[in-house]
Amino acid sequence: MDLQVTNVVKQFEIGDTTVPVLDGVSFDVAAGDSVAIMGPSGSGKSTVLHIIGTLEPPTAGDVKIGGRNPFALSEPDMARFRNESIGFVFQDHHLLPQYSVLENTIVPTLAFAGNAAGEERARQLLERVGLGHRLDHRPAQLSGGERQRVAIARALINRPAVLLCDEPTGNLDHRAANAVAELLLELHGQESNVLVVVTHNSDLAQRFGRRLELREGRCFEV
Amino acid sequence: MLRSLTHHWRVNLAVTLAVAVCAAVLTGALLVGDSVRASLRDLTLDRLGHIDTSLVAERFFRADLVDELAALPDFTAGFERVAGAILLRGNAVHADTRARASQVNVFGIDDAFIELFDEPTTSAVFQSQASDRQPAMSFARSSGQLFPSIVINASLQRELGAVLGDQLLVRFRLGSEVPRDTLLGSREAEDVVGTIRTSLVEVVPDRGIGRFDLNPHQASPLNAFLSLNDLQAAVEQPGRVNSLLLDRRGDSDADPQPLLVTSLSLADIGLGLSAIEGPANTTLIEIESEEFVLRPGLVETIEAAARDLRAPTQRLQVYMSNSLRIADRQVPYSMVLALDVLDDSMPFGRLNLLDGTPAPALGADEILLNEWTATELGASTGDELRMSYYVVGLDEQLRTEETRFRMAGTVAMRGLAVDADLTPEYPGIEGIDNIADWEPPFPVDLSVIRDVDEEYWDAYRGTPKSFVAADTGRRLWSTRYGATTAVRVAVPAGVDPATFSFELGSILLERLEPQDYGFRFVDIKSQGLEAAAGATDFGQLFLAFSFFLILSALMIVSLLFTLGIEQRGKEIGLLLAVGYPLRQVRQKFLAEGAAIAALGGVAGLVAAVLYGKLMLWGLRTIWLAAVGSPLLYLHVLPATLVIGFAISSFAVVGSIWITVRRLRRLPPTRLLAGVTRMPAATVGQRRRRGWLAPLCFAAAIGLLAYALAGDQASNPGIAFGIGALLLTAGLAAFATWCRRARGRVRSSSFAAISMAIRNSSWSPNRSILSVALVASACFVIVTVAGNTRDPAREAHVIEEGAGGYDLIAMADVPIHQNLNDVAGRFDLGFDATAEARLKDVRITQLRLVPGDDASCLNLYQPRRPRLLGATDELIDQGGFRFAALSAELEASPNPWELLRADLGPGVIPAIGDANSMQWILKLPVDGELIIEGERGEELRLRLVGTVQDSIFQSELLISEANLLRYFPGRSGFSYFLIDAPAGRDVEVAASLEDRLERFGFDATRTADRIAGFLVVQNTYLSTFQALGGLGLLLGTIGLGVVLVRNVIERRGELATLRAFGFRRAFLARMVLAENAFLLAIGTLIGSASALLAIAPRFALAAVELPWGALLPTLAAVLVVGMLASLVAVIGALRVPLLPALKAER
Repeated sequence: MDLQVTNVVKQFEIGDTTVPVLDGVSFDVAAGDSVAIMGPSGSGKSTVLHIIGTLEPPTAGDVKIGGRNPFALSEPDMARFRNESIGFVFQDHHLLPQYSVLENTIVPTLAFAGNAAGEERARQLLERVGLGHRLDHRPAQLSGGERQRVAIARALINRPAVLLCDEPTGNLDHRAANAVAELLLELHGQESNVLVVVTHNSDLAQRFGRRLELREGRCFEV
Repeated sequence: MLRSLTHHWRVNLAVTLAVAVCAAVLTGALLVGDSVRASLRDLTLDRLGHIDTSLVAERFFRADLVDELAALPDFTAGFERVAGAILLRGNAVHADTRARASQVNVFGIDDAFIELFDEPTTSAVFQSQASDRQPAMSFARSSGQLFPSIVINASLQRELGAVLGDQLLVRFRLGSEVPRDTLLGSREAEDVVGTIRTSLVEVVPDRGIGRFDLNPHQASPLNAFLSLNDLQAAVEQPGRVNSLLLDRRGDSDADPQPLLVTSLSLADIGLGLSAIEGPANTTLIEIESEEFVLRPGLVETIEAAARDLRAPTQRLQVYMSNSLRIADRQVPYSMVLALDVLDDSMPFGRLNLLDGTPAPALGADEILLNEWTATELGASTGDELRMSYYVVGLDEQLRTEETRFRMAGTVAMRGLAVDADLTPEYPGIEGIDNIADWEPPFPVDLSVIRDVDEEYWDAYRGTPKSFVAADTGRRLWSTRYGATTAVRVAVPAGVDPATFSFELGSILLERLEPQDYGFRFVDIKSQGLEAAAGATDFGQLFLAFSFFLILSALMIVSLLFTLGIEQRGKEIGLLLAVGYPLRQVRQKFLAEGAAIAALGGVAGLVAAVLYGKLMLWGLRTIWLAAVGSPLLYLHVLPATLVIGFAISSFAVVGSIWITVRRLRRLPPTRLLAGVTRMPAATVGQRRRRGWLAPLCFAAAIGLLAYALAGDQASNPGIAFGIGALLLTAGLAAFATWCRRARGRVRSSSFAAISMAIRNSSWSPNRSILSVALVASACFVIVTVAGNTRDPAREAHVIEEGAGGYDLIAMADVPIHQNLNDVAGRFDLGFDATAEARLKDVRITQLRLVPGDDASCLNLYQPRRPRLLGATDELIDQGGFRFAALSAELEASPNPWELLRADLGPGVIPAIGDANSMQWILKLPVDGELIIEGERGEELRLRLVGTVQDSIFQSELLISEANLLRYFPGRSGFSYFLIDAPAGRDVEVAASLEDRLERFGFDATRTADRIAGFLVVQNTYLSTFQALGGLGLLLGTIGLGVVLVRNVIERRGELATLRAFGFRRAFLARMVLAENAFLLAIGTLIGSASALLAIAPRFALAAVELPWGALLPTLAAVLVVGMLASLVAVIGALRVPLLPALKAER
């Protein structure tokens, strides 16, 4: 399932002022490809990611995932689309503190009934991210790297076509950041999805297939 | 601080409102207490007018005493006014409709009395009553008016349905100088009950004079006023009254008792001194009583006075014998004199035998006959003589007894033997020309009177025909009033008899205590005002009722304030990071909290007045059964507002302090990062807490088993213990679950629910607090419902409480006949039809010492409860269910026998109703209540047992023997327990009420009486339930606040879920389910604990929980709780996605 971003414009209204963030961003990513989006703070990296993840609509332009424009869907349908086609890994892991590792992983499968296979897949994924022995632990009992690995497992639980990572190693030390990056790429290879990673870490960016840079609201291939 | 308060105005406003609720409820409850007390005080002042002190004597005395007292300078210095009046208890009947009212106060009054109520009331209690018209208390007859005028109060008018001009029959107890339970006392109905037909000329409102009553009770009395002259004529006591009512001057503390002594005459206390001719030109002063018997103390006082005057005395005891028989010859109806044979030195005359020798001293079984009688009987010395005579039994019925004597000699008809003055002037006998015309108060068979008897009567009148020893007389014919019928004092030679008589009288007046004759002043107003403090402190009661309301408000204060602090976590972190000491930060927040508490407290005081008003409105309307008076109005005492403000501020600041104190547990770095959640409990803490649930549960089960096995099923303390333990166990178990949060979230159709259940453990403390509140409130609601009494379903309880009796009756005028006896009933006018209706009916007649109603129907604190004399029959038959027995006395199988225990002089064993003792008299078993006896002496009533849910809630029971010992003036029976054959109770009641109408006989089904008490109990419970319900409502709102807070704090989490494709509807379901779960857990823990706590009572008796009322209440709790959670749901749906996600960074 390909990702197509065409001429996306995004402006924020703050009081009477209109703040332009994106000014015609376009790029395509084929299924199985990975891309890193780089740029200085405030360049709109996360905004691009949020628009692709349907968390925020673009002011203008198109986003197509597998040829479908998710913004044409109703709110419930868009939620389902997001649930089935998109996986998120946030800089802050956003794990639910009251749930165990396994439960956190299956959370996306709970949004719609009938996804009974979720738990088995969660176990497999957690095994693959190296946390098979910590299924019942709570987030508070894990290290930062481990939490992010749980977040990656959670993002992949519904086999999303697009995996979006927003500074996934931003809160980790060098060693943990490397491990997480390797894991991401390994799983990306296995799952054959579109991987979009926002980072300002150029070392990390080097490890992905393509690198894009956002400057003054536009996107440039590096 | 002001800027800080205004900047965070939303949360501060919410906290202020919660503080206001707390202050309003707390202060409002205190205001209710004040208002009840002040209203009772107003009622007391209103009903007594200017009357401060009263004297109500058992006997009538000269009305002139009023003027004599008023003429004393010492009296006028201390007292403004005095009025004499007749105060009686009786009943009234509408002459046409036969509408009847019992327990009517019948007053004979004059202008002096009316002046005691000359000022219109200014009491707030009566301000609501529209009419300020001063009624005319004029008894002048209008032209053509046949019958005396009567004025009645509005309550009596309502009872009788009378209008002006109607004729009313007023009946009352007629006084009698002679005790009615002695041979010479009349027990005939027409002598006991007086009746006057009157014309209604005025109806006065139930206030001021219309409310006049010496007994404190919040219910309006039924008052009938007649002119003093009319009532004096009706009671056949012209120129006499039975009470004095005094208006004290300012704050004078003058004691009127000594002044009374100077005005009283011997005639006022029923004593007569008459000079009679003694032997050898001597003069004797004979002292007799209108009672025809001199009480033992009085005899000794007379003898001592005579000794001081160096005058000898002689006791005389004359009694009536029905017959003197030797073999088949008899002399009917003659007097017998009991005296000690005197020696020659005594100036009272002697008995001489026929041969002129002095009569010998008599043995216990010896008798002397006068010559006339000896001749009639053909008696010789040594003959056996049988004397029959009447005695009056404990049941006040005449019984014929016979005693055999040995004839010791014949007395010559001269000297003392022919002294006609020996015999008092007996009613119906003295002054009658022929024996055949006698109308004595006891039955005589006039057919046995012979001509010779008439001849003796003509020659010697009532001169005794036989003589026995004084000891013999005392043994055979003593009553509790004494034995001596007269004392003679010989005037010493050379002393003027008139002077001697005056001196003797003066000494007697000086030495006799007027209170021994019922002349005792009582500071009725100060006693009434003391009693107005109330048996029940409604302030405390409403504080207890409002407990959950206050708790809920405090919880919300704490939650909201915590929310406010947590919202400012970064500010706190910053302050700490830049070097502010923690204490200073705490003080800053505490100061802000105090300011909010003060602001909310002031607002709460305004609301408190409204809350108090609302509660008093409730007491006047929906909870009227609990107070029985619609005359309770709000009284706002500034001191109470200050106290309420102080207590609520203290509670609020305390709750805020606890919140602020917790700040130390969060390091500045976490606060700066926006983390405000408290760290989880340590493993050690969790382990320790883990033991709590099983421990409490085990203890509860143990207590439950004890309750079931140990006959403690009805013990409220044990039930509460079981409930509290189970509640703690349930909450502890929930807390443990929350902290461990077991159970797995799974993919299924119920994912939202399973997530919700797990989410409730997100903030264990808040969840536990919410569950605790809901559980406690449900516990109260279910417990209260479980204790609600349904008379229809509790036939066995009523049966036990009624002791097997079907009817209970009271008479305004005591009845002296035996209602179980055909002859007694015949005397009372029962005809064949009425007799047939009373077939197989058993009536237990009891004596009653009037006093204050000790039941929950009386709001005033009873000072001297009504006393009932338990007869031997009642004691021996046992029955009733005992709640508690004396630990100090050895119990016999029949606990009633404890009433016979000898606890020493002045200490009287008593049994009372458990509820009345606990809540009204506040008298524990083995505790003592000090009351005044008939003569003002101190008596200690020791509670030796209590009976459960009984008909005896208004009175205390003592043995009849003790009642007669300490209240000897109580003759007649006023309280009746009736055992009627199945299904005939109504018919029996109607028959008795009809025949005994003039006595004001009023019968009630025992079941109705107990049900009446249960209604009061239920009303208190429903008050508790209503305020508990309000608390629960506030609690559920608190629960909503918890959820809203949770949603706000978890906005990042909710945004994450939405990022993963969770729909809004799912999240709404999840938040709703969370609330439902907490509500359900709370309801379950609270209800189950309550049900198990009251289970023993249900196991004991076939009572049912009122599910019909309970389930809707609990359902309403759930619905309101769910509605409150909708707010949280709306909050959840409004969470903006990206800001929430970004805020987490």
